[in-house]
Amino acid sequence: MQRPAPLLAAALGLLLAACATRPPADDPDAVAEFRQNNDPAEPFNRAMLDVHQGIDRAVLIPVARGYRAVVPQPVREGIRNVLGNLRTPVILVNDMLQGEPRRAGDTLGRFVINTTLGLGGIFDVAATRFDVHGHTEDFGQTFARWGIGEGPYLFIPILGPSNPRDLTGSVADVAADPLTWFGQGVAVNALTGSRAGLTVVHTRETLLDPLERLERDSLDYYATLRSIYRQRRQAEIANRLDGAAGAAASGTGFGVGNQGR
Amino acid sequence: MTCPSRRMALRAALVLPLAVLADRAVAQGGDIARASAFIQQTGQDLVAAINDTRAPLAERRERVAAVLRRAVDIQGVGRFILGRWWRQATPAEQAEYLRLFEETLIRNLSSRFGEYQGVRFSLGRTQQRTEDDVLVNTIIERPSSAPFWMDWRVAEVGGQPRVVDVIAEGTSLRLTQRSEYSSVIQRNNGQVSALLAAMRQQIQQMAAREASGAR
Repeated sequence: MQRPAPLLAAALGLLLAACATRPPADDPDAVAEFRQNNDPAEPFNRAMLDVHQGIDRAVLIPVARGYRAVVPQPVREGIRNVLGNLRTPVILVNDMLQGEPRRAGDTLGRFVINTTLGLGGIFDVAATRFDVHGHTEDFGQTFARWGIGEGPYLFIPILGPSNPRDLTGSVADVAADPLTWFGQGVAVNALTGSRAGLTVVHTRETLLDPLERLERDSLDYYATLRSIYRQRRQAEIANRLDGAAGAAASGTGFGVGNQGR
Repeated sequence: MTCPSRRMALRAALVLPLAVLADRAVAQGGDIARASAFIQQTGQDLVAAINDTRAPLAERRERVAAVLRRAVDIQGVGRFILGRWWRQATPAEQAEYLRLFEETLIRNLSSRFGEYQGVRFSLGRTQQRTEDDVLVNTIIERPSSAPFWMDWRVAEVGGQPRVVDVIAEGTSLRLTQRSEYSSVIQRNNGQVSALLAAMRQQIQQMAAREASGAR
């Protein structure tokens, strides 16, 4: 996915201007919670969630609904598998960088099997026939395993909940993707663009119901999203979510780690 | 020649810690078995109440409520979730909060009766002991949607096993809710009453959904 650099620069500028007020030191409970939330830029982040929801309601949700209405479930499943298969090279690199030869072997095996027997990744035969299930990895998780801290919580429109570590990680994910550097010309650009667009639309479709329910049921959607994102990331980094069924219906994290299962 | 009593003392010194360890291992195994059986029973009771479509809605809700009151450490979890605001709340607010918290818990499930129709529940792959509680893994299956794992955190409260948290997709419900409630209070200038008002409104919405969604 292309990341709009000017938007990011503008956002960072705003970020410096809008910081949450730190609670007074004589209220240790409040200070502890402030640290726990890890969200010094909360007012800015809340504004960014509003921006996101504007775009979401105007564009992403209608498009995702249309996609759901037009593309039947088995075809969407195939699309999910193809997108997941295209992500495996990046997962493989990260398995190796994390020193996980077994998981790297799984990922490599899945890529070979699904690309061939799975007809270019349309069918996840590795999981259904060979019982080798997918897992997700990304550079954000690898950085975490290397001991790099997450930094303050950030909410980025379209991309969703993040932090400097995971944001840098997603840039590295794009850079490490062989398809980013593969060939050139109109056809290749069109394919890369379609893949990026399809990933956004497909991911948003899988999150239509969970996010709608979450927003409806939460007394503070922003705080709930933040808490879920940070907990889920910790579980992903510790590889505690492997084998968890229904991964597509993850509560949040649009964009991060949803593909490749 | 060594004195026999010294040898015995030495042997005792070597064996005793082992015996204590073994004893603890048995206790932990017992804890795990007990917690698993407890969750199995609780889950079956809940599933039976949810799937009993012949009974009137109010009766099913009452059955679910009875199971939850028996199985969940509502006091403890409620206090944990309110966290630092518990001490700032007046005794009247504390009592009202716990009442609303219980109601939220019950309505949260009863407003989803339609959605959970035909749900099946079974114990999952691993049950593990943590520092002061047991995590019991279960699989929740619903018709026409993918099955998912759910972990139940079971602690001893007053000598009885009680649910203190549920964890799905790496997310702990009590941690998420704590963050949510605290944020509501904080954004309303530290007024616990603002949270109570929001909870009341939420319960009304759930009640409306329950009435419209039930068969």
